[in-house]
Formats: sequence, structure tokens, C-alpha cells
Amino acid sequence: MIVGFAGTRLGRLEWGGWVAVAFSAAAMVLGVLIAVGEAMSPGTYTNVQFTWLHLAPAPGAFPNGFSLVMGTLVDPLSSLMLVVVTVVGFLVMLYSIGYMHHDHGLPRYYAELSLFLASMTGLVLANNLLEFFLFWELVGVCSYFLIGFYYEKPSAASAAKEAFLVTRVGDVLFLLGIFLYFSVYATAGPNGGWAANGFVFVHGASPFLPLPGANTPTLTIAGLLILGGAAGKSAQFPLHVWLPDAMEGPTTVSALIHAATMVAAGVYLLAVASVFLGFTPTDQLAIVAVGGFTAFFAATMAVVHPDIKRVIAYSTISQLGYMVLAIGAGFAMVGLYHLFTHAFFKALLFLAAGSVIHAVGTQDLFKMGGLKKHMRLTAAAFAIGGLALAGIPPFAGFWSKDDILGSVYSVLGTHPDYWPFFLLAFAAVFLTAYYIFRAWFLAFSGDGPRDPSLPTPHEGPWVMQVPLVVLSAMAVVAGLFVFFPGFQNLLLGGAGLPGIPPTFTTTDLALSAVSVGLGAGGIGLAWSLWGNGRVFVLSETSAIQPVRRLLLNRYYFKVGYDWIGLRAVYTISRAADFFDRFVIDGAVRGLERIFAAGSNRLRSIQTGLVSDYAAYVVGGLLALFVMLLIVGPYLLARLGGS
Amino acid sequence: MLPLISIVLATLLLGTVGTFLAGSRARWVALGTSAVFLAEVALLLASYPGWPGYSSSLVPGFSDTETYSWISVAWLHVDYAVGVDGISLIFILLTAILQVATVVYSWGETHRPAGYFGLVLLTCLGCFGVFVALDVLLFFLFWEAVLVPMFFLIGYWGGPNRRYAALKFFIYTHVASIVMLVGLLALVFYSGATSLDFSAVYAAAGNLAPVVQTFLFLALFFGFAVKFPVVPFHTWLPDAHVEAPTGGSVLLAGLLLKLGGYGLIRWAVEVLPHGFHSAQPLLFLIAFITIVWGSVLSLAQRDLKRLVAYSSINHMGIVLLAIALDSSLGLLAAVLLMFAHGIVSGLLFMASGSVHHQYGTRDISSLGGITPSAPALSTMIMAGSLASLGLPALISFPAEFTAFLATWNGLGYWVLIPLVVLVVTAGFYLWMMQRMLFGEKKGVPLDVHDVPWYEGAGMGLLVALTVLFGILPSLLVNVIVNSPIRGWPGT
Repeated sequence: MIVGFAGTRLGRLEWGGWVAVAFSAAAMVLGVLIAVGEAMSPGTYTNVQFTWLHLAPAPGAFPNGFSLVMGTLVDPLSSLMLVVVTVVGFLVMLYSIGYMHHDHGLPRYYAELSLFLASMTGLVLANNLLEFFLFWELVGVCSYFLIGFYYEKPSAASAAKEAFLVTRVGDVLFLLGIFLYFSVYATAGPNGGWAANGFVFVHGASPFLPLPGANTPTLTIAGLLILGGAAGKSAQFPLHVWLPDAMEGPTTVSALIHAATMVAAGVYLLAVASVFLGFTPTDQLAIVAVGGFTAFFAATMAVVHPDIKRVIAYSTISQLGYMVLAIGAGFAMVGLYHLFTHAFFKALLFLAAGSVIHAVGTQDLFKMGGLKKHMRLTAAAFAIGGLALAGIPPFAGFWSKDDILGSVYSVLGTHPDYWPFFLLAFAAVFLTAYYIFRAWFLAFSGDGPRDPSLPTPHEGPWVMQVPLVVLSAMAVVAGLFVFFPGFQNLLLGGAGLPGIPPTFTTTDLALSAVSVGLGAGGIGLAWSLWGNGRVFVLSETSAIQPVRRLLLNRYYFKVGYDWIGLRAVYTISRAADFFDRFVIDGAVRGLERIFAAGSNRLRSIQTGLVSDYAAYVVGGLLALFVMLLIVGPYLLARLGGS
Repeated sequence: MLPLISIVLATLLLGTVGTFLAGSRARWVALGTSAVFLAEVALLLASYPGWPGYSSSLVPGFSDTETYSWISVAWLHVDYAVGVDGISLIFILLTAILQVATVVYSWGETHRPAGYFGLVLLTCLGCFGVFVALDVLLFFLFWEAVLVPMFFLIGYWGGPNRRYAALKFFIYTHVASIVMLVGLLALVFYSGATSLDFSAVYAAAGNLAPVVQTFLFLALFFGFAVKFPVVPFHTWLPDAHVEAPTGGSVLLAGLLLKLGGYGLIRWAVEVLPHGFHSAQPLLFLIAFITIVWGSVLSLAQRDLKRLVAYSSINHMGIVLLAIALDSSLGLLAAVLLMFAHGIVSGLLFMASGSVHHQYGTRDISSLGGITPSAPALSTMIMAGSLASLGLPALISFPAEFTAFLATWNGLGYWVLIPLVVLVVTAGFYLWMMQRMLFGEKKGVPLDVHDVPWYEGAGMGLLVALTVLFGILPSLLVNVIVNSPIRGWPGT
């Protein structure tokens, strides 16, 4: 059943958006059914697999043989992701019908979008590390195509390349990580080792770490490499640069990348790795550090940006940081819980932003203003998304973000190293609330647009409104799902998956109060600076002006990477090319010249008589045989041969 | 049982002669010959263990062998000995595929078509011969027979600087062939082999002292390495490619380079294991240099064809690395990789040929935004580039993955070198696509249209195979692993 479902999604080519929508609707129904089935009675679904490539056992590196398989695995982890991918995917597809109707190249768009969703579904359902990697790369290339959808725009083509290359760096690390795990477990473990069984994920609390020789430096490095791969896909520091530039793609694509597919893949990888492979304590600290730091670091950049989509993009990086933080601290399911809620409110924010862009034709917040008069639904939807993002109860983000902060707090006692990153993440709550409401006030409040040349805004057609309504509803209630026993099965089911249902102890309440306070404070600050059409202008002489410039230039990371990529590497390669042409090939041509000079002298013996040439040939052959038959054996005897 | 291999040789020979004589109808004869060739290769494959549908678990070995005494004087026994195993079958399949694709792609060739198509067929005939020959002299004969038609293809149908390139190609590879021949003959004489048959040489080579094996191995390696080509013996390749006509480039990259890899596996690594082991560090060194050099230089190229040529050097470096590992997984990876590279580089050379036909230049920086005017062509370029940079579900991925896994298994962290280079490889392909295919229109004449149907069909065939074998690599793998290779299952 599941293979058939993945297969239809992979195999088809559609010519109209509605076909794609219909298929993604079918996928959504199936995906949700699977998840509900798994939630109600875990283990309902039979997992299937077939062998993709097989080498028989032979002495040497793999005494037990070597297999690569393709298969499916439905467990709480994957069914939760399945819901996210298929539901958000369907809504984005539906929304695209309205949003993209005036663009050309639509068959390409829907085909790529469908392949994107199919790859992500494949990744989620993969039952082994190699299949995971395969779909992982496919997800990457689909995002390359979609980010570069407007390929006539140089900036879009450049952003697509950048996204591909930066994630490729992560992919290389990931691949090396696979090799490292492989070298430890290839021949160890049940049924003749991992190699023989096709790297299949096996349930049972971190089955691999307790093996003899585990917890070694090799495993630590392997874990770090997995983190590197995840950081590339999920845009974590220092591989975060591509995500804001990926805003060059259509807004619908941004919504999909940010909510359900591309970046979610990185977090999902960390979750899967922590469940099925296990991380060493050093790895965990590194993951916590990357997550906590990124949560704060990205939020600071969102504070100053004038582009509505990029503000949301930075907020994604920051929210992903929270998920990574949770997984690093050992709470994979809590991280995924946040991924679940985040998918809905982030897709909502993007689609609402898309409605705004659709209506006014610009992404510059400073040109907008007063939109709430004309676009009530969008304004409300964006506000709901913002409240969820800011972690205000009872919206979805509150429950999962608080769950993360609470979980991490609960292990601070045993892991004092986590403190700084916990505090950074906590501080980011304030920034988050501030920047998202700064965007809301700039776009929607006030009397009218600051740039009078903008067209009169209007709401989109129903296909754009329905997803907004559905996602708004989800952004309100998704967090509450955790109180349903079935959903708790997903979060807590499966042996040894650590997760924490919300509790209401004094500590929890105090933490929640502080974080809600921070969130409300952020909203208040945003209102006081930007509310009611106000525009806060930082004076040129202000002491924090350099900070603002640093943030606007994104800490100069992009400049630095471009320098490495374009200047340094390209210069080296040009130099190498020069060396190749003039030194290596020059030597060849030099030899040529020497021979040419020599042959001039030899020309005197070229008489033109056939018999003479025949004599030379015979003489040459004779010399060859003399060399082989007389000199050779002599050398042979000297060297002690036969 | 039918002497299938001789039938194939006869087909190709007759087809070649027929094509030369057919005048303006040469392309039809060439196409007919290629179709028959492909069908015969399919028959060969179908009767080999490992191909789907072949149920019996035959002990792997050379199949379809034929041996006839050819020259027999006092101490010299030369046989017409041919046969195939899994590895050579893969290369034969590649030969047949590329021949069909090249003939279809060149359908519009109007400049002396009889000569052109005849030489294309002759080149493929030579390559087929190299892959089936099981006798030292026969092998060398076919080996040299490949050079001549390629020399004329470059020298007559090539670009403005064709004479220089053709001569350079010929002399360079010919010198290498001579060294290889000396090595092969010395191998026969010193080992005391009773005949020049592969099996006789293979059995007798064990008598040689390790030091002698090393010297012989190095001589053979030099011969094969120039064909590969490895740095620093590679400079003939970009020149030859830039000047060669598109069909010539496809065969050059797709088949001629593979002769080096095939020869190294069959005649050097397998026959002289001790020599191979002592030369291993050298091979690793050369392989790593070649991998890095090829990729870094690709980044610097402005000519699309030169870029693809240098990326070929990079890929063949990975092949050498995989062979040098001396593991069953590595050898499997090397063969897969050569097959993949044959298909993908053929596709990319065809695409750059089409770019040249349509726009009159291959200079990447003077073109831009060609996608809207030529969507099919730019799809082909994208497909080829993505396949070449190792995208899953396309043919190179299983090959490269296996190669890297084998490298990791054999050399540990040294695998970082090819892995990091992978990023550079992705970089130069993506950058090329960004500059040439996307962005603002540049250097595109107004009256330009998409590629003609035959060029599209030739490339389309290769794209389809890229996807097919990318999704089902086991089709190839199951054949390859049934080869009589030292230390492989069943031997």
C-alpha cells in the first residue's frame, strides 16, 4: 500500500495544476490515514523492502556480503512527518493554483513541486540510511530547480546555485558520516552486520551505541558529520547563508521548503540519527551548541530586515535552531513536536505573505502599510501565525516551544554545559516576538501604503483563502493535539523515544510565564516602535548603527563565502590551468621540438627506397627481440627471477 | 552454440565496408549495422549469468569463447582467441549503445558522410575487438586499430586546429602503445608462457619474480595510463576533444578512455598481482592528483567542451583510484563508473556539439539564458551535468557511491580528497549552467531554434539510459560480479 502510494507519486507527470492537486490530496488522505492508524495502534503497517543491489558473501572487506535495499518504515517518527509533509504539501499545491496562475512554465512548476513532495515522502518513509541519503539528494536538487524557477532572473539562478552548493557541503559531510558509521557497524550487529542487511534502521533504544567499541572518537566524529549534513539542509550556523537567498523562488516554494520539506529534512535526519544510531555526549553538546546559537543568531538578523519574506526566512532558521537544540539535549520527539506545529504556522506565515505580495507586488515592508483594511483575512492569518511563532498561549507555537525550553531546562542539572545555549534560546523568544510583529505592524497597520504607487490591494481567490483558513485553524489548535492520547502515542510511542508530555509543575509554569512575558514584551516593543503606521528611524549617529549594518550585511558571511568561492578557488583554478597549459603541455611540446630537431638530422638516411625502410623495420624488430631475449634474461638473472 | 562474437565482428566489418561504399546512403547502412550490433549484444548479454531471467547459477568464467590457431611457428603460438566475461560485456554494451547514439546524433552529417560513418563504425569495431580479445597479439592489433579511424575523424572532420590535435593524439597514444607492447611481449617471454593466450599468460605470470612483475606492471600501466588519461599524461585529451567532431568526441570519451581502464584491469592488475601491489602507492598518488587536477581545471575552463574533457579526467581519476584499491567492491565501482561515465560524457559532448551548431560558439561566458530559446537542449545539458555531479537516481550515483565506500574501506580518511572534490565538481557544473542556461539572454541569435530531431533523439536515448541504470543499477552489477576475477565470489 505504502509503496504503491509512493510509486504513484514518483511516477507521474502532470499537465495541469489540478491533477497535481488531486494527487497531493490523495497523498494527504493516505498520509493522514497512515498516521492515525499508527497513532491508534502502533505497528499496524507492514513494512516492505526489496533489494536494490546485492553482493554475495566473499572473503575480504565484507565477509557477510553487502546489500543496498529500498524499503519503507512506518513508525511514530515517520508518520508524524508524513502528516506534516502531505498536509502542508496539499495546501501549498492548492494555494499555488491561485498564486501562480499568471506565471508561465506551470507544467514544469507542478511537476517539480510534485517531485519535491514525492522525494520528501520517500525520505520520510525510508527504512535505511542509504535510501535516506538518496532521497535527501533528490530533495536538494528539487529545491535547486524550484528556487531557480524564475531562471531568467540572474539573482534566482545564483540563489539556486548557492543553495545547492552549500547543502552539497553538508551532503559530503553526511556521506562521510555514513561511511564512518558503516565502518563501525558493517560487520558487527545482528544477522551479519549492517552491510549485509542494507543499513536498515532497527528499532530498540539506540541499538548501535552499546556495541563493543562504541562511544569511541570515531562515533563522535560520525555524529558531528551527521550534524554537518543536517546543518547544511536545515540552514544551521555556519551553513545558514543559502536559506534567505532561497527567497528568490516563488513564495509557495518558500512555504514548502520552510515548513515541510527541505529544511525539515535536516531536523528529521538528526531525530532519526538520535533514535536509530545514537549520539555520544560530545555530539550532543555540539548539537545543542549549534541549535541554541543559531536560534539566537538568526533572530538577530531578522530584526532589521526590510523584506517580508526574508524576515520569515530568518525566523525559520531560528526556529530550526530550537528543534536542533531539543534533539541535541536528547528530546528528539519534542523537537519533532515543534517541527509539527512550526510547519503549520510557518506555512501560514508564508502563504499570508504570499497573499500580500500577490496583492501589492512588492516584498519591501517599508513600502506597504495599512493593508488590514483591504485584506482582513490575510491580516488575521498573519497575526495568528505571528502569535503562534511568538509563543503566546494557546497558539500552537507556545506548547511546543515551551516543551523544548522545559525539556532542556530539565537536563541542565546534569549538563551544565548547556546553560549558555539555553539562555541564548530563551533570549531569542523576545527577538522572535519583536521581529514578527514589526513585520505585521509595518505591513498591515496604519492608514495606507507608504509607497503611493502600489496597486489597491485585494484578497486572492478562494483557492488561496482556503489554505489560509485551514492553516490558521491548525496554527491555533495543533499544539493542543498533544493532549490527545493518540497523538501522545506518536510522540511517546516506540521503545525508548524520549519525549515529555506537557506537565504543569511549578517549574514549568514559571518557565512558561517568563517566556510568555518575553514574548509579550517583544510584541509591546514592536508596537511602540512600529504600531499604527509609525516608522522608527534609527539616527545616523546612533551608537548601535554599526550593529545594524553588521546585521543587515548578515555578519558578512555571504561576502566571505563568495570570496572563498569566487575569488580564492577560481584564482587557484586559473593558475592551475596556466600551469597545465604552459608547464605540463609545454614539456610535451618541448619534447616534440627536440624530436623534430632530431628527425631533421635523421632525414639524411630517409632515402625513399622501400627496401631501406624494410631494413629499418626489420632491424628495429631485431633490436627489440635482442633486448627482450638477451638483455632481459640477463637482468632477470641479476634480479633473482625465474 | 553460435560463434556469437565472430558473428558480431563480421557484422561490424561488413557494416563498415558497406558504409564506406554506400555513398550518400551511408547513414542508413550505419544505422542498420548498429541496430544489428545492438541486437547481437543483447543476445550475448541474455546468455550470460546474472542478466535477469537467467536462472542457472553458472560458475562464472569467460563465455562464448572461440579459439582458433592463427600463427604457429616453433615457439610462437598466436591464437584467434575471443570470449567475454561480465566486465567485458558491460563495455560491449556501452560500445553498442554509444554507436547507435552517435549514428543517430550525426544523422545530419553532410560532409563526406560515407567516410564519417564508416570511421565511426570502424572505431567501434576496434573497441569491440579490444574488449573480446583473449590473446596478446589480437588485443594489440585491435588496440592499434582504434587509433587510425580516430586519427582520421579528428584530422579530417575536426575544428580549425585539427591537424595538430590529431597528430598529438596519434603520437602520444602510439608511444604509449609501443611501451605497452614491449611490456606485453616481455611478459610472455619471461614468464615462459606456452602461447599468447590470456589463460596461458595468466597462468604463467605467477612464475615471475616480484621485482620483474613490478617492472612489467609499470610498463603496462604507462601504456594504459596515457589512454586513461592520468595527470601528467593528459594534455592530448583536451586538445583532441576541442578539435574532434562531436561524434569523435563521444567515442573518444565514451569508449577510448575505457580501453585504458579495461586494459589495466584485464591485462595488468589481474595478470600481475605482485607488480600491482608494489605499484599501489604510486597509483594512489597519481589517482588523487588526477582527481583534484581534473576538477580544479574544469572550473577554469571557458570552452564547454574543454570543461567536459577535464571533468572526464577527474572521473577517470576516480576510476583509477577504485581500481588501485584492490578490492572487489572497488573493481565493481570502477567498471560501473566507466560505464556511467561513457554514457554521461557522451551525452555532454553531444550537448556541447549542439551548442556549437546552434550558437556558433562554445564559449561559456559569451552565452547566457539559452533556456527559453532551446528548452530541449538545455534540459539535456542539465541532465548530463546533474548526472555527472552524482545525483541519485541517475547512473553515476551508484557508481560513485560504491567507489567512495570502497575508498573509505581501503584507505580511510583519504576518501576526503575525492569527497571534497565532489563539491568543486558540483560547483563548476552549476556555475556553467547558471552562466550559460539561465540569467539574461546573451549571444543568442534571433533566428535560433532548438536542436534538430536527430540530435535530440541521440541525446534522449542516453538520458533515458542514465535514468534507467540509475534506478536499476543491479542490472549491470549482477553481470559484472559474475566475472572470473581473483577473489570474487565463485572463483
